[in-house]
Amino acid sequence: MQRLSLLLLLLSGCRTAHLWAQDRTLPLKSGSVRFAVIGDMGTGEAPQYQVAQRMLEFHQKFPFNFAIMLGDNIYGGKTPADLKKKFEIPYKPLMDAGVQFYASLGNHDDTNERFNKFFNMNGQSYYSFKKGNVHFFALDSDYLDPKQLDWLEKELANAGTDWKICFFHHPLYSSGAFHGSSTELRTILEPLFLKYGVQVVFSGHDHVYERVKPQKGIYYFTEGASGELRYGNLKKTEITAAGYDKDRSFLAIEISGDDLSFQAVSRTGVTVDSGSFHRPGAAPPSP
Amino acid sequence: MEMRGLALSSASLVIVLSAVAAAQAPLRNKQPPGFDDFTQRVQQYMKLRKALPNERTTKRQDQIVDRRLSIADAIREARPAAKPGDIFTPECAPEFLRVIRSTLRGSRAASVRKTIRQGEPVMGVHLTVNGAYPEHLPRTTVPPTLLLRLPRLPDKLAYRIVDRDFVLQDTEARLVVDFIPGALP
Repeated sequence: MQRLSLLLLLLSGCRTAHLWAQDRTLPLKSGSVRFAVIGDMGTGEAPQYQVAQRMLEFHQKFPFNFAIMLGDNIYGGKTPADLKKKFEIPYKPLMDAGVQFYASLGNHDDTNERFNKFFNMNGQSYYSFKKGNVHFFALDSDYLDPKQLDWLEKELANAGTDWKICFFHHPLYSSGAFHGSSTELRTILEPLFLKYGVQVVFSGHDHVYERVKPQKGIYYFTEGASGELRYGNLKKTEITAAGYDKDRSFLAIEISGDDLSFQAVSRTGVTVDSGSFHRPGAAPPSP
Repeated sequence: MEMRGLALSSASLVIVLSAVAAAQAPLRNKQPPGFDDFTQRVQQYMKLRKALPNERTTKRQDQIVDRRLSIADAIREARPAAKPGDIFTPECAPEFLRVIRSTLRGSRAASVRKTIRQGEPVMGVHLTVNGAYPEHLPRTTVPPTLLLRLPRLPDKLAYRIVDRDFVLQDTEARLVVDFIPGALP
């Protein structure tokens, strides 16, 4: 009995430590756009569930309304049982709390995931949506055909001067040793991003977390470790601003006016990166 | 005089607007030459396809899978004798091979090959016409530089690279429509 009490005490201590370590650094301003970012998560294994649990705990301190998914949403089989195990069960508590998920497709996904209403893709493998003063563009980076590029150019041209955020699977800039930067995609996409003022890009594919120093004024994040992990695979280079490859993670983002704040949280609840920046091209912040 | 001035202003406006529209219009090729036979075969396939049900959005994955399987069965029934070369015909296949090989050997060859590698291509698997594209296989990544030089496809079709084969896939049915064996050098 004494042993059981001691065990319970130790377990409760661990849980407290998690919550303590998961302090929110985001400003939580009134009317801000708040979302989570996850990538390469659809394994259906324990680490994915543990990251989902951390997200749920974080949601209590930082009530985000939606999450964007950076691809490889469902690895391996795509049966109804697979969808349950690799998506519906781990994220059910978040969906019950009102969080919507917006998916982009990775190389391990089935194009037919676009028909699954949980992913909010409305039957399209690339699409856009708007939240507050932020335009989001979900791309299918496995199949950047002329039709998609024409669509993207038109959408970006009509998006006005607000925040423009693109998310897709393959990172244009990455210090991940396994894949690294997708240089051909960069040749195609970067000119469009620059021409139409995209400020932030989120990608996955490399199973690490990395924040890249702004490249030609654009902020790039890789979050490909929300289920999968390539331990020690981040070979920090001159483009790396911050990174984490020792455990799984997710990213939380808050956009208030022209300011974006970010916080990357590990599977064990430790904040591994945080900070903020002003929207490139916007008027300087008032002192 | 005022009218003439107005007419001139209108004409100038039209010229300016046309110039702006032209500057904004994407320059991507609508239809590269040399693929007429292929385009015609794709249109025929799409006629058949239009008579079949489509996928619909739902939260029920079992419905998505059931519909996908029934669409695939219906396609097989409609094309029971389909074989390699029915769509990538002997007339157009050499043009596909020329474009694929020149893209993979051109000035951007290294980054194009890297794109294919990064899609974690499946080796040692050979698909069959009317066969299913296996669930566990990655979609693979088709280099955009290559896609820019190939005929555009309707929404339900996509090019895929599996091993060294160049595949035409019905994405909703996850069905292999045709392929060119050993197309990649």
